[in-house]
Amino acid sequence: MSEFLEFRNVSKRFGAIQAVDGVSLGIKKGEFFSLLGPSGCGKTTMLRLAAGFEYPDTGQVILDGADITDLSPNKRKVNTIFQSYALFPHLNVWENIAFGLRVAKRSKRDIETEVEAMLRLIRMGDQAGKKPDQLSGGQKQRVAIARALINKPQVLLLDEPLAALDLKLRQRMLIELDMIHDQVGITFLYVTHDQGEAMSLSDRIAVMDSGRIEQVGSPAEIYETPRTSFVAAFIGDTNFLEGEVTGLVESEYCQVKIADIPGVICFNDKSMKPGNPVYLSIRPEKIHISRDRPEESRLRNIVPAVVEDMIYLGSTTKYWVRTHGLRVQVLRQHFRFFLDEKPIRWNDDVWIWWHGDDGFMLDRYRAVDEHLVALPPRKVGEPEDNNEKP
Amino acid sequence: MRRSRFPFIVTMAVLFFFYLPIIILIVNSFNASRFESGWQGFSLMWYKRLFHEPEIWRAARNSLLIAAAATAVSLVIGTTAAIALHRFARSRLQRFHFGLVYTPLVVPEILMGISLLMLFVTAGVELGLFTIFLAHVTFCISFVAMTVLARLQDFDESIVEAAQDLGAGWWATTRRVLLPMLLPGLIAGGLLAFTLSIDDFVITFFVAGPGSTTLPIRVYSMIKYGSPPLINALSTILLVLTFTAVAASQRLSRSRH
Amino acid sequence: MKRESRQKVRESLVSFPSLFWLSLFFIVPTLFVFAIALKPANPYGGIGSGWTWDNLRSLVNPNYLAVAWRTLWISVLSAAVCIVLATPIGYYLARVTARWKGFFLMLIIVPFWTNFLIRIFAWKVLLHPEGAIKKALAFSGLIGPQTSLLYNAGAVVLVTVYTFLPFTILPIYAAAEKFDFQLLEAARDLGAKRLQAFAKVFLPGIRRGLITAVLFVFIPALGSYVIPDIVGGPSGEMIGNKIAQRVFVDRNLPQASALSIVLILSVLAPLVTVLVLQRKRDKPESLL
Repeated sequence: MSEFLEFRNVSKRFGAIQAVDGVSLGIKKGEFFSLLGPSGCGKTTMLRLAAGFEYPDTGQVILDGADITDLSPNKRKVNTIFQSYALFPHLNVWENIAFGLRVAKRSKRDIETEVEAMLRLIRMGDQAGKKPDQLSGGQKQRVAIARALINKPQVLLLDEPLAALDLKLRQRMLIELDMIHDQVGITFLYVTHDQGEAMSLSDRIAVMDSGRIEQVGSPAEIYETPRTSFVAAFIGDTNFLEGEVTGLVESEYCQVKIADIPGVICFNDKSMKPGNPVYLSIRPEKIHISRDRPEESRLRNIVPAVVEDMIYLGSTTKYWVRTHGLRVQVLRQHFRFFLDEKPIRWNDDVWIWWHGDDGFMLDRYRAVDEHLVALPPRKVGEPEDNNEKP
Repeated sequence: MRRSRFPFIVTMAVLFFFYLPIIILIVNSFNASRFESGWQGFSLMWYKRLFHEPEIWRAARNSLLIAAAATAVSLVIGTTAAIALHRFARSRLQRFHFGLVYTPLVVPEILMGISLLMLFVTAGVELGLFTIFLAHVTFCISFVAMTVLARLQDFDESIVEAAQDLGAGWWATTRRVLLPMLLPGLIAGGLLAFTLSIDDFVITFFVAGPGSTTLPIRVYSMIKYGSPPLINALSTILLVLTFTAVAASQRLSRSRH
Repeated sequence: MKRESRQKVRESLVSFPSLFWLSLFFIVPTLFVFAIALKPANPYGGIGSGWTWDNLRSLVNPNYLAVAWRTLWISVLSAAVCIVLATPIGYYLARVTARWKGFFLMLIIVPFWTNFLIRIFAWKVLLHPEGAIKKALAFSGLIGPQTSLLYNAGAVVLVTVYTFLPFTILPIYAAAEKFDFQLLEAARDLGAKRLQAFAKVFLPGIRRGLITAVLFVFIPALGSYVIPDIVGGPSGEMIGNKIAQRVFVDRNLPQASALSIVLILSVLAPLVTVLVLQRKRDKPESLL
């Protein structure tokens, strides 16, 4: 399928800040597409470029084959859900929803039928006469959605629409958004810094950083095969181990020397050559931990370690173990509580192991990313980033 | 921590200081005595006298006329100024524009009065109600612009964007979103302009001609040359009028919410 | 680009009315004041032809200098008294509960809905030889029966304070409202005495409000005309009175213009000082 909404080599600068830096991106018709990244990464600017609130310095924005780069916002068939909802305070719910049709000078009867239909869609028929300041956060959100959808946009732009809601409501609205997307079947461009939202809603995600796109892919692709260390660190937790490729194993794997661990086996999707310096990234939940030495197996890396810190998290326990001078984070799911099993404790000698396919190599590691990497806490009990996982 | 009583005492003392002259003035307006020397019984004679002073009524009519006209014109010009200052805030022209709108607020009235007088004299414009009107519009513009601008700056910027996003062009955004949301600001600005115009003495005094007496000018000449009890009565009437007007406008703005 | 030029057209259209009006009735008249100060007066109360320095030269006249000096000290003293009174009030209003706050603010603003002239007149009545204050003071023996409360510089300061005090209370209150009063507790906790905490933490915290408040009294006080005219008498005259006398008594507009230039410059001086100082102190904010 061809691209429906397309950014072609788009750049935008605000004073000294390069908000968007030569981005090319295509979004398909009917897709739920997310722009994910930390604040200031340029994702909101991308959305505003699509809406027409900003115009790019260079590049083009194409919608359904037509160049809309210079079109003013009121002439674009896209509508926006604002982070603050931006409901008109002087108009009631009904009039807010009707706004787009009134401006378009539609007939009175048309407006009435369509507004009623929208009120049914958002299940707020009985609240039609209320002013925005009498509504709860979730209701405002629904009115904002109805107001945008009534114009039958080709693309709906959502700017962190759930950021202002509390956790419970956010989860409910998440499901509701998903349902609305299925019902109306239009293209959604969703901007968020919350990977949980992006992962659960999106068909595809573009991870952005410093005005550039780091990776585009399905949620699973982004999580399982991050292309850069930024993506690996931003989405979920990971261990970064510095090493060097020492040899190739079969054709698809290679051996990596990390600290003084000689032959760590890793899937070689980036066709690294021996001598190549690399970063090996392994997600904590992909590493197994046990008191007993596991069986040797092909492509399995087994390393002895000592437990330094641990945090009990209910459904899981997080361990920080030291091996060959490295600190490695391990996440262990509690499957069953064996009364006779002796639990792993501080300073215990343990074995950790992972499959060669579960690590991935990254050839680039920037100091900028460091703050995003979940560094092991210096002492137990220190608060840490609780990166939600899908 | 125990708090000092000192700020409370100062506040009370100053409130007493604020009200003392006004209360004495109101009381004296009902005093039968011609001088302030003592209470000689309750009387409404000064109020009755006031009704037989045609000049006061003529002056009041002039004042109302000028205030209404100056309010209408300054409301339009001040609001467009505020919209320009808000919408194009970052441009160089608007930085100059802001300075131009702001300066009349800090310049002492007498300077504005004398400079306008110089303009009118040089240009050969006959001093009278028209020159007073021009002067009043000039200082009211700044007050209206600042009031409306404050209101504009309180807006959630994305509301204007939302209107455009939903298909409203420049004019529709202004008419359907900007102006209705500005209405309380416009009312406040209008009331302010009206009060300032009705109250102004200094500037008016400089640009008024013979026969174009406004109420404050009339009050001034009464203070200088007239009988004090009449002024007491007039002041009390004005006081009651302002009170009712302000109370009404506040009730109005509260019920709008 | 087309889009940008359309924006420019729109901007100039919306800015035009106020730019035009204020240029014509504010900038041009001010320039006229400067021009007319260099013109001779004609005997019919108008402006003569040719150019002259005489008006400006005549400003160096002991009579004018005395008036200028008085104008300055009356303004400084009035501003000082206003600040001293307004600061504790602003502090009090910021700390009192919301209901009382509204009530007190109302009480402070209400008297100033009355006409400016009437408020001055009310004081004239009070200070009058037959008035209440004079009688009370004379009765208590604080002043002699011959002492006049009216028609002197002291009366001008009193009425100036009365007139401008609310305009100093409001900015100080606004600044105090934003002040974090836990800072005072922190200062006390660290060993500061009550007054020390007030002077070293509260006052610097409301600096901007204080500066605004000073300007709100000082600048209009410099240009005072009606207050000294009604309660000042000859010993309370200020520059404003001199300007008015030149206009209304001798009908010497060039001379009035020359005096106005002095006033314009003396008003600009504190404004520019404050702007420069603020720009130095907080660089990033000055960009706004």
